[in-house]
Amino acid sequence: MIEFEDVSKRFDDKAVLAGVTGRVEQGEIFAVIGPSGAGKSTLLRLVDLLDTPTGGAIRIDGTDIHADKGQSLSIRRMMGMVFQKPAVFNTTVAENIAVGLRFRAADERAIREKVEDALEIVGLAGYGERRARTLSGGEMQRVALARAMVIEPEVLLMDEPTANLDPVSVEKIEDLVIRINRDLGTTIVFSTHDMYQGQRLAHRIGVLMDGAFAQVGTPREVFTLPASRNVARFVGIENVVDGVVVAAEDGMSAVDIGSARIRTRSPFSRGERVSLCIRSEDIRIAPAIRGRRVFDGNILPGTVTSVVPRGPFSRVTVDCGFPLSSVLSWKAVEDLDLREGSQVTASFTAASVHVVRAGED
Amino acid sequence: MYEIIEGFVEAIRLIVTLDPDVMAIAARSVIISLTATVLATLFAVPLGAAIYFGTFRGRKGLINLIQTLYALPTVVVGLLIFLLISRVGPFGSLRLLFTPTAMVIAQTVLILPIMTGLTISALSGVDPVLRDTLRSLGATRLQFLVNIMKEARFAILAAVAIGFGRAISEVGAAILVGGNIMASSFASSTRVLTTAISLETSMGNISESIALGIVLLIIALGVNLAITTVQHR
Amino acid sequence: MQRRTLFAVAAVMVALLLICGCTGTTSDPTPAEKQQLRIATTTSLYDTKLLERLTPIFEEEYNAEVLIVSAGTGKAIEYGQRGDVDVLMVHDRVREDAFLADGYGVNRRVFAYNYFVIVGPESDPAGIKGMQPEAAFTAIREKGMAGTPGVVFVSRGDNSGTHSKEKAIWKGAGFNYSADVQGSGDWYQEAGTGMGATLEMANEKQAYTLSDIGTYLAYKGDLDLVTLVDEGDILLNIYCAMQINPAKYPDINSTVAKDWVNFMISDDVQKEIASFGVDQYGRPLFYAAQDDWEKIGVPQAEVKDPIA
Repeated sequence: MIEFEDVSKRFDDKAVLAGVTGRVEQGEIFAVIGPSGAGKSTLLRLVDLLDTPTGGAIRIDGTDIHADKGQSLSIRRMMGMVFQKPAVFNTTVAENIAVGLRFRAADERAIREKVEDALEIVGLAGYGERRARTLSGGEMQRVALARAMVIEPEVLLMDEPTANLDPVSVEKIEDLVIRINRDLGTTIVFSTHDMYQGQRLAHRIGVLMDGAFAQVGTPREVFTLPASRNVARFVGIENVVDGVVVAAEDGMSAVDIGSARIRTRSPFSRGERVSLCIRSEDIRIAPAIRGRRVFDGNILPGTVTSVVPRGPFSRVTVDCGFPLSSVLSWKAVEDLDLREGSQVTASFTAASVHVVRAGED
Repeated sequence: MYEIIEGFVEAIRLIVTLDPDVMAIAARSVIISLTATVLATLFAVPLGAAIYFGTFRGRKGLINLIQTLYALPTVVVGLLIFLLISRVGPFGSLRLLFTPTAMVIAQTVLILPIMTGLTISALSGVDPVLRDTLRSLGATRLQFLVNIMKEARFAILAAVAIGFGRAISEVGAAILVGGNIMASSFASSTRVLTTAISLETSMGNISESIALGIVLLIIALGVNLAITTVQHR
Repeated sequence: MQRRTLFAVAAVMVALLLICGCTGTTSDPTPAEKQQLRIATTTSLYDTKLLERLTPIFEEEYNAEVLIVSAGTGKAIEYGQRGDVDVLMVHDRVREDAFLADGYGVNRRVFAYNYFVIVGPESDPAGIKGMQPEAAFTAIREKGMAGTPGVVFVSRGDNSGTHSKEKAIWKGAGFNYSADVQGSGDWYQEAGTGMGATLEMANEKQAYTLSDIGTYLAYKGDLDLVTLVDEGDILLNIYCAMQINPAKYPDINSTVAKDWVNFMISDDVQKEIASFGVDQYGRPLFYAAQDDWEKIGVPQAEVKDPIA
């Protein structure tokens, strides 16, 4: 439905987007995730015609939306947008929601009904006559969502809609996003720097890095099979180490990372430079003395360098010639009597190592 | 000190008894300055909007100039208008000098820059997210303008109040083009609160001056109160 | 809410316009017939409230409305030259002559006179009491320049008739005004304002000043200043009224202007002037010019003959 073809955008001398290419399909929830400053907002603003690209094209159902200025209004009226900062007009909640309908010269009765329905849906029934400015941030954002929703857009764009909200409001907004998509079939494109939100809501994710999509795929693909070292880092894979393939056979390969050799499953051939991505959840820690050889696996002896609490878990970092971090429950840490200086073995299977071609960085 | 207390007592008497002279001067002040404010609003708000929404060369320079003119000395405006409407001036044949109309013109000119500038500020003060929101909701150019103005309405109202305050409290232009005339008819007189205070003080009538000063303060206070009430509704 | 705001604003405006309209119509029922007469007057005639006494009589008699702009003689003459008023009422023979000669004014008539007085603090630190005016000025300057405590002279400094007279006295005493007097020291201060305000200022500073007797008497109740010098030919103060030349400014109100000038020298008004202030101050503020033309040295026609 929405096609990005080599879209670029410069502000003065700064290139914010540099060659974004990808597709958003009809009826899907598409998340644009990426670190701050990656150009997520700019990309959404380009779609909503709030900015003009400096290069490339954005097509909706085949039409280049920036080509004909005369069509801007009708194209924009296909879409609704919710912005990061909750902002409301200084009037009543109902009037806020009605703004877009008034622009479209809807009749008063239709406006009243739609506004009532929208208030109901966003959980603000009975708030219609309140002054919008008196609402909380989360409520304002729901008003903003209702305001964009009542115009029944084909595409709903949301630029980090929950970035500044409390967890309860975040949950409400997320529920609404899913419901709007499911019940109305609205195509939703939203941006977030919260990869888990992307995972929770999106059918597909585009990882925007340095002004271009580093990877587009399902959440599962992006989280388990990141396309690059940077994506791996961004989706929360803590252990990323570089090395060179020294042996390859039947989809198995050995990678020399300098201080050790790691067995992996990967299609790369001898001599190729690769990065190894190992989720900390996949790494097991055992006492050094009871180390046993696991078929197809990697066992590395090392010394615990730190044990840091992280929520209900602890992150244990082991120096095996290179730092490797693992996540254990508190109980496991206690049972193993792990502390700084403990001698342990870290082990992980070859299948849990995701191998990507080393980037230029 | 005694003089001030005595002045206050007399002032309160003049106000409480609705002294006809004081009331006439106060009413004239309000009418002249309010007319000037309404006129200035009719020019300044569209002008401010045009400058704010416009994209033309020298826009920044124009805004700077307008802000500089905030400090336009009232006597300079008075002198300028005087020279224009004096009998030998370009508009002399209209015989406007020493009339309330002349004072309205002078006050309008005087407050035009500050009201235009504050209108621009008021519009600039609208949250940029709301601007994007309006566009994203599919506003036409006109709908966009109208809604931004609507959003800035209280700030614009404050600009109007400030304009009125400056108009009613200025004395330099009023005395130059009005002449501080106390005629037998209300409409021909040009004595307003400020010029009357100036005259009464020079004649040593301190209590009248204080009374007029208090009336001026009450009017200013009333206007501010009204604006605040509207803004907080 | 939006509509309510607009309504409130509109209501206030309508109310004010109504007030405006009502007041305008009730106090001015026949605006079309009434002629407006604009007079620029010297402050002394205004501050003493002489004109306040005379204008209602004139307005009644001639169905006119008198608009008075009170300013120093210099400013009044400026208004006259620009054609912004119909009548001038001033007291500076020398500049009046120039004004008439230049063709700006016509039909000058003298309607009143009185005397200037030198007033000052009762302690009289310069010791001028009873002196001739020129000698008194010389003494004030000498003591002032010498830094004698308390010797200060406040001048109108506004090119008014009184200021002209002051300069004439300095000249008579043998001084070059701009070189010897103006800016010669802290003892000489220019107020740049009307007679009443200047008296107030001199009173605050306990200083000497030159005043017309009328304004001084009218303000005397509020002042601690006393008359120190009131005799000397040079102190004579002659008030005139004249029309602005209709040949120069054809659309000025020459008929009412003529009526006003004639009104000022009419017997009734002359009587009114002669008695003005007697009940309040125990003596008149002005003398009627009618029968004293010889004494004050002006042509008989200027006090007696109405404008044709």
